[in-house]
Amino acid sequence: MVGSSTPAPDPKRLQRAARVLLRRPLLRASGDDADFRLVREHAAPLRDWFDRNTGWALHVDAETVRLRKVPGDPHDPTHPAREEGRGRLAFDRRRYVLLCLSLAVLERAEAQIALGRLSEQVILEAAAPELEDIAFTLTTRDERLDLVAVVRLLLRLGVLDRVAGDEDAFVRSSGDVLYDVDRRVLAGMLVGARGPSTITDNDPGARLRSLAEDSVAHHLDSDDLRNTAVRHRLTRRLIDDPVLYYDALTDAERAYLTSQRGALTRRITELTGLVPEVRAEGIAMVDPDDDLTDVRMPEQGTQGHATLLLAEHLAAAEGPVTLDDLYARTRELAVEHASYWSKSARTPGNEPELVAQALDRLRALGLVEPATVDGRAAVAGRPALARYAVAAPTVTTPKGGTP
Amino acid sequence: MASTLPSGPSGPGASGQPDASTGHYTAFAHLNAPNSAFYRAVMEVFVQAKEQFRVHLRPEEVHGGLPEELRPATSDPVADALDKLALWGNLRQDPDTERVTAVEDFYRRRHIYQLTREGEAVERALTAYDEALGRRGALQAVALADIATQLRALLELAGQGDPDPAVTHLTLRGLVERFTGLADNARAFMSSLQRTIDLHDADVDAFLAYKDRLISYLERFIADLITRGAEIAGVLDELDADGTGSGPVGRLLRMAALREAADAAPGGQGGADPLEDSSQFYEALETWGRRWEGLRSWFVSTPDRPAQSQRLRVSARSAIPQLLRVVSVINERRAGRSDRSADFRTLALWFAEAPDDDARHRLWRTAFGLHPARHLTVDAATLEARDHEQVPSGTPWAEADPLTISPRLRRTGSYERRGRARKVVDRSAERRYLAELARKQAREIAAARARLATDGTVRLSELAELDPLSFGLFLQLLGDALARWGPRTTRTTATSNDGTMEIHLSAIAGGGTATVHTPGGTFTGPDHLVRIIDVTGGTTAW
Repeated sequence: MVGSSTPAPDPKRLQRAARVLLRRPLLRASGDDADFRLVREHAAPLRDWFDRNTGWALHVDAETVRLRKVPGDPHDPTHPAREEGRGRLAFDRRRYVLLCLSLAVLERAEAQIALGRLSEQVILEAAAPELEDIAFTLTTRDERLDLVAVVRLLLRLGVLDRVAGDEDAFVRSSGDVLYDVDRRVLAGMLVGARGPSTITDNDPGARLRSLAEDSVAHHLDSDDLRNTAVRHRLTRRLIDDPVLYYDALTDAERAYLTSQRGALTRRITELTGLVPEVRAEGIAMVDPDDDLTDVRMPEQGTQGHATLLLAEHLAAAEGPVTLDDLYARTRELAVEHASYWSKSARTPGNEPELVAQALDRLRALGLVEPATVDGRAAVAGRPALARYAVAAPTVTTPKGGTP
Repeated sequence: MASTLPSGPSGPGASGQPDASTGHYTAFAHLNAPNSAFYRAVMEVFVQAKEQFRVHLRPEEVHGGLPEELRPATSDPVADALDKLALWGNLRQDPDTERVTAVEDFYRRRHIYQLTREGEAVERALTAYDEALGRRGALQAVALADIATQLRALLELAGQGDPDPAVTHLTLRGLVERFTGLADNARAFMSSLQRTIDLHDADVDAFLAYKDRLISYLERFIADLITRGAEIAGVLDELDADGTGSGPVGRLLRMAALREAADAAPGGQGGADPLEDSSQFYEALETWGRRWEGLRSWFVSTPDRPAQSQRLRVSARSAIPQLLRVVSVINERRAGRSDRSADFRTLALWFAEAPDDDARHRLWRTAFGLHPARHLTVDAATLEARDHEQVPSGTPWAEADPLTISPRLRRTGSYERRGRARKVVDRSAERRYLAELARKQAREIAAARARLATDGTVRLSELAELDPLSFGLFLQLLGDALARWGPRTTRTTATSNDGTMEIHLSAIAGGGTATVHTPGGTFTGPDHLVRIIDVTGGTTAW
């Protein structure tokens, strides 16, 4: 199936290489040495596979590896850019805008740039009339923090390499930082087949569609190409997303999946070691190694524990559960597991945050969706949530009586 | 006139003055009036008239002087505006005493108007305000030439034996005026240049139209500053070599100060001598000294302080690349080329325009595709169970077996990760075996010792056949004993290494050969008397 002229690769190593790439679609020779070499070694079969099954281009050169992953489902909002460091907060409007402006500046920059110069240029870019409500002047500490969050993301991605100085000093306005700019990484930042500046749609939805548009799907002039496009979309979702629900598919996609399910999932299993969990409502490619993911479930620690117990609670419930009910349940759980939970989680009044984090996680895994009950905010379980309908182990105290 | 003033605590003529009770400047009131543009136009007519040395204006004249787009059909609104302005104190209203030729004119309120001091001050303030915000400062290259010319004139005056005080004073004043203008303009220019570069006024069209002229102007100015600046600095050095004002220029400055003191002194006594000591003279001299110092420091650098003109040159020069960068940004922004820079800028705009954070997260994922894959997990036990008994693909999730979750994780929220748990090997069986082995060996050795111990002293050859274990022990003992055996030794005693046995050995003269039989073979050697004692007394710890 791999269909390559190179000598047959060691299937275990090929599998590891594929998993590395799916976990981190952008690798650099410096910094990701072992992973980089592993992927580079298997570049040919991997390129063939991704090209044939997902339509994702794999670019490999001496410095960088980039798998241009176009999402199968562009409507999934659970993959935000996140700041580095402990908070891992999702980016907000200002930071996204600053990120793009910084990239625009770096694109024109020389091989090196200082943070002070970068910020001057970003201010200049932000003065464009279309962006006037951003009003970025870098006069406050918050604005400096925003810019530094952007720069730290670029450092992690490898667009920038720190040469001297540190960003904390810049936040305190007591210093500057010097960076090398890695142009190859910069060149590989965008994935779409079309440059955003060539897209003229005004509606956010249409822009998203144009961005994700395939060169193949672009000309739907034969059954073959249509099938290829469908195969790509389905494989993308199966290989990248936790659960593929049938009800989210178009008729054509569903028909193709019904007839080709075995072949699709077998190929993915061969490449990645993921195992299909095929159910009446959809397919989940589940991971026996439990590391091909950025969101784990079940997970250790208070947060993971609370998520697991709330998932149980939701799975056992008939229909949607209101947030208030979840808060109440969390309070009970905090008492029940007082000796294991962190102090902050047990503090009364922290339930909403704990619940919100748990729901974020469950939503990211395709296990719940927002709902309303009598006009109140609620959460509804999706079918795969039933995987976590774990009966409580024999409890010695009669406390766990509530459903 | 007093009757037209607003009633209130402010007395006659006080209108337009800061009103202490309210902090109000009534002469500025027209700026916040509903049709302030019209009021300002009216005042502008008065300012222009004043420049032509006309003091009084009639309402018709004001009407005629208004710009066409603001001119009402009749002069009535103008008359109203004039009354209002007079009320606020900007204008003074006097009865018009001129003859009229029409009846209606006679019945019309007839007044003439002129600017009050307050009104004039307001106009000046407004002009300064507009200029500070609106004008792009200009660098006057001509000013440099003028300054150079005037300095040369000064130099010539200084060379004369008896220069005319009036000419000297006038030349100095002219120099100061020109220089002040230059310095002000330079300051305004630099700040407006910075504004342009920052694009804060974002007047892109104006900027693009202006940029070529601006750049060539800057270049010309820089060149001028270099040549003229050097010339001026040269003349300054001739006038005042050491920068203390004591050179030839010192005399000229004193003359100017003297003239000013004579002007200022009330009832001037004409004679020069008393003036030389007056405070007015010293004040004036000090002022002139400061001015001169200012002029010098503008053009002449000292080691620790570069001249202002040099700084100006540096910033004017660095402005050019900055301007070019702005131009390129603007051009790229306009051209909308599909280069990556334009792509990123477009994305920035999309992020800014997206309706909510979810939309932005979607855009991020689709445009950058840097997200890791995300999958649910499955544990080995569940997987094995499924291998045994396939779950039909039509089974709803709710009816299939749920995931096995470690009871410990479910209870406590932590566990050793599946598959990575470190196995603690139970070695108690081995330990038991080893203990048993040791015990057995000890028992055997004790038995061997017991067998080996002799009942009193025997001949070596009388030792019975030995089993291997006993024989091993015997050899060790014999070895220990013989180690102490010297050439003349006839008897020796040794203790085994572990202290459990003792051997006494003595030679037998002509004793022949002893032979000991063991299952492993036969041991032969000279016969000896031997006595072996089991020190443990045949009892062992076990």
